[in-house]
Amino acid sequence: MPISFSIKGLTKLYGSGTTAVRALSDVTFDIQAGELIMLVGPSGSGKSTLLNILGGLDHATSGEVTFQGQTLTAMNDRALTAYRRKHVGFIFQFYNLIPSLTARENVDLVREIADNPLSAADALALVGLTGRMDHFPAQLSGGEQQRVAVARAIAKRPAILLCDEPTGALDLTTGVQVLDALSEINRLYKSTTLVVTHNADIARMGSRIVKFADGHIRTIETNASPAKPSELVW
Amino acid sequence: MRMHAAGIVLVLGCGLSVLIMAVGMGRSLETTRVHYYAEKHMADLAVSLVRAPDRLATGIEDAPGVSAVETRISGYALLDLPHVLEPVAAHLVSLPRQGRPKVNDLALVSGRWPDASRPQDALVNEAFAKAVGLKPGDTLDAIVHGHRQRLVIAGVANSPEFVFVAAPGEMFPQPERFAVIWMGRDALGEAYDMRGAFNDAVIRLAPGADARKAKVAIDAALRAYGASGTQGRDRMMSDRYLSEELNQLGVLASFIPAFFLIVAAFLVNVSMGRVIATERSNIGLLKAFGYSDLAIAWHYAESALIFGALGLAVGIAAGTGYGRFVAGQYSQFYHFPNLQFSTSLSTLALAAAASFAAAGLGAWSAVNRAARLAPAEALAPPQPANFDHGTRSLHGVTEGLDAKTRIILRRITRFPRRAVTTSIGIGLAMSILIVTQSFPAEMTYMLDVHFGLANRQNVTLTFGETHEVGTLHDIAHLPGVIRAEPFRIDGVAFSKDQRRVQEALIGMSPNATLNRLIGRDLSVISPPADGVLLSRSLARKLVALPGDEITVEQTQGRRIRARVRVAGIVDPMIGSSGYMELGALSRLMREPGRISGAYVHLDPAGYQAFTQRLKGTPSLMGASFVSLAERSMRKNFNEHMGLMTAIYSGFAAIMAGGVAFSAARVTLAEQQRDLATLRVLGFTRLEVSYVLIGEIAILSLLSIPLAIPFGTAMAIWMTHLFSTENFAFPYVFNPTGYAFAIGFTLTCVLAAALIVRASVDHLDMVGVLKARD
Repeated sequence: MPISFSIKGLTKLYGSGTTAVRALSDVTFDIQAGELIMLVGPSGSGKSTLLNILGGLDHATSGEVTFQGQTLTAMNDRALTAYRRKHVGFIFQFYNLIPSLTARENVDLVREIADNPLSAADALALVGLTGRMDHFPAQLSGGEQQRVAVARAIAKRPAILLCDEPTGALDLTTGVQVLDALSEINRLYKSTTLVVTHNADIARMGSRIVKFADGHIRTIETNASPAKPSELVW
Repeated sequence: MRMHAAGIVLVLGCGLSVLIMAVGMGRSLETTRVHYYAEKHMADLAVSLVRAPDRLATGIEDAPGVSAVETRISGYALLDLPHVLEPVAAHLVSLPRQGRPKVNDLALVSGRWPDASRPQDALVNEAFAKAVGLKPGDTLDAIVHGHRQRLVIAGVANSPEFVFVAAPGEMFPQPERFAVIWMGRDALGEAYDMRGAFNDAVIRLAPGADARKAKVAIDAALRAYGASGTQGRDRMMSDRYLSEELNQLGVLASFIPAFFLIVAAFLVNVSMGRVIATERSNIGLLKAFGYSDLAIAWHYAESALIFGALGLAVGIAAGTGYGRFVAGQYSQFYHFPNLQFSTSLSTLALAAAASFAAAGLGAWSAVNRAARLAPAEALAPPQPANFDHGTRSLHGVTEGLDAKTRIILRRITRFPRRAVTTSIGIGLAMSILIVTQSFPAEMTYMLDVHFGLANRQNVTLTFGETHEVGTLHDIAHLPGVIRAEPFRIDGVAFSKDQRRVQEALIGMSPNATLNRLIGRDLSVISPPADGVLLSRSLARKLVALPGDEITVEQTQGRRIRARVRVAGIVDPMIGSSGYMELGALSRLMREPGRISGAYVHLDPAGYQAFTQRLKGTPSLMGASFVSLAERSMRKNFNEHMGLMTAIYSGFAAIMAGGVAFSAARVTLAEQQRDLATLRVLGFTRLEVSYVLIGEIAILSLLSIPLAIPFGTAMAIWMTHLFSTENFAFPYVFNPTGYAFAIGFTLTCVLAAALIVRASVDHLDMVGVLKARD
């Protein structure tokens, strides 16, 4: 498999001087295209910081990240926006749907800036929401809202799918539905998928599990037989 | 929040500054007038007559309620100023032989009181002295009753009788073209052939006296001497102008501030609503810790009080500055010895009440909401807005639009009250500009009509007494005269039933080409061969309709009394006279073939020779040079209107900017998370800015159809409020003014929106990934 991300010596400091906080410290590893990687670790361990830098939302203090040969860490704001627009799909812990748009329109929002998007109906069908397309977020349950968010993320067929605690606000049943959708999309579209979670059980879904502590990668485990979402319990 | 608060304070400050200026200026003007009148014994009544022996003064003194009488000799003269081509008109008034006038005393500004033994000693009014650079000791050549005299300026003075000074028949003061000169009684008696007689009396009444009874008695005493009818202060030109100015200040005080206070209340409401929405969880915590509803309410009410207090402080500072500026402007028109702007405690109390009322009313619903919030409810995150409510109706409209535009439209329809109030706020600012812009257009139009269509003569010559129409032939042969047209003017009392109004009755030459009566529709109105045309304001006062018979009675001279039919009602923009055909009027007054003056059209090449000849013409009472009057009026008008327009444009900019800033800030606060989400999803800053600014842009555009009819209605209403007996301001549609009002307001809105837009560059994209709605 070709390399999607190449990460070398990535370090991120917040603040300066004696009050500086080292969120990421000399992180180095490669991510293959189409992988489903789980980033796990306690709060403040650096997993979200890595996700933010890979998503083009934050700048590294030092080190380098390349994506398909382009150096992300050297990009300015305009180039990073273009990178997110073209390649990245995001799934947030609290869904972040636009409340004034229906489920279909939330998906359309992303389709408007994508080159070869899925139809909103197809994207919502993939997450099992065909019957709820014209509902506003306030009329949907948490699980449904997160599935709309998944549909919105995948509608532009992103090369990268970044998920920050996607089930953090959901109960087991709805969480499994969302993970099912993520797993299915990763399988169908071969999107490189990174999921941040502090839940060790969910991590069993990944093809690799990267464990963080104090800004460092502690271990990278390869999972030869990823669990199905329906097998997970939390 | 600081910018938002600054916006509220500035809008409040603008409204209060106008309130403080207008109320303070009104009271300053009124107080100065009252003190000046009391100190200088301003006349309560005045009467002019043809000639009465001095002994008649006792007849006036005996009238009931009269406390003091000053009989005088009064007349008009032409002045020949060196280096000035045109003769200048002057009103000459006699001083008592001994001591100061008991009525209408003067305030000596410089120099000395005239010496009774020196007939050439004279006092001149301060405005004229300043305008032409005269000072005590200078000399002045005057043609008084046909005789050239050299006067010596003993002093410069002001009089309560001439606080506002304008030549008879002129719309506007021209200090350099009209003088008031006070001279010794004997000197004027000699000049006007009035030895032992008087032709003018000013009367002061005892406190509480019945002016009506006094008038009847004085009229009876003087009837045989050609008295024109005793007039109260309401018919004295200077006092009448002052009263009209005070009325206009009253209009300003109630009208403009109200707009600003309403908008300020709205801004406070929006701001407090937002603060309380942001601090919901804090409110819940405080309540959970045992703080009472009242304590919470008071905490937020304090913010409103601070807005009120800061707005008041700005209003007082700006209002005082504005008031001083206006007082400076007034002192060019109203000649008081010492007119100063001051704010009384009651004015400040009124402003404070208005400020706290606006801030309090604005904060009321938000504070109430905070007080009523249950702790458990406050601690829970707010329910997300359900956009299914109120937005379904938009379905057809939004179908073909992109998602960003849908977000904008859905927010507008989801929060209609806020959208409407925002549009109204911006619309009010636009309306103020429409009014501000329409006023200069109306004045310019009025001047254009007055000078371009109605008064096309170069000079108006007025005789002291009526002359045979043959005089016109002499005038036509003066150097430079191309054409001369006669007119007649009679001071008359119009009466119908019990109503009696003193006004001028003007006899106009048929087929006149120079001075014409122009209607509101710009048509030239020719008086009919018989009957009288009444100006609308005169007809209204008489309650007269076309076809009615009214009585006219000369108020001077032979006091001819006649019945005449109202032939029609006309709407001249300037003047409130009656109009007749020249021949018909002279026949009615039993003086066929006699005229009061002539309108003259000049060849510019002969101008200098013409003015030279006028200076030596004894029978002239006045010579009004139209182009000088026009130049002076336009200059004055441009200076004053330019400043006022700038001030009100500034106020409107603050209002529009404040409303737009507030609306954009609320949109940003409410949508911060959504906008950051859009940025994370890959939308550019420009696209996200569109979502932020689009809402205020649409609301601003929607304010245009609100502002145009409302601003127009206000402009029309203002023309009625500011119209006086003599000036009927027309409403003039001024497309440039409307374009400016719209363009300027939208620019202010855009500037405010762009300030808020800068926040899009600093949206917290990382934080939004973790933040709960």
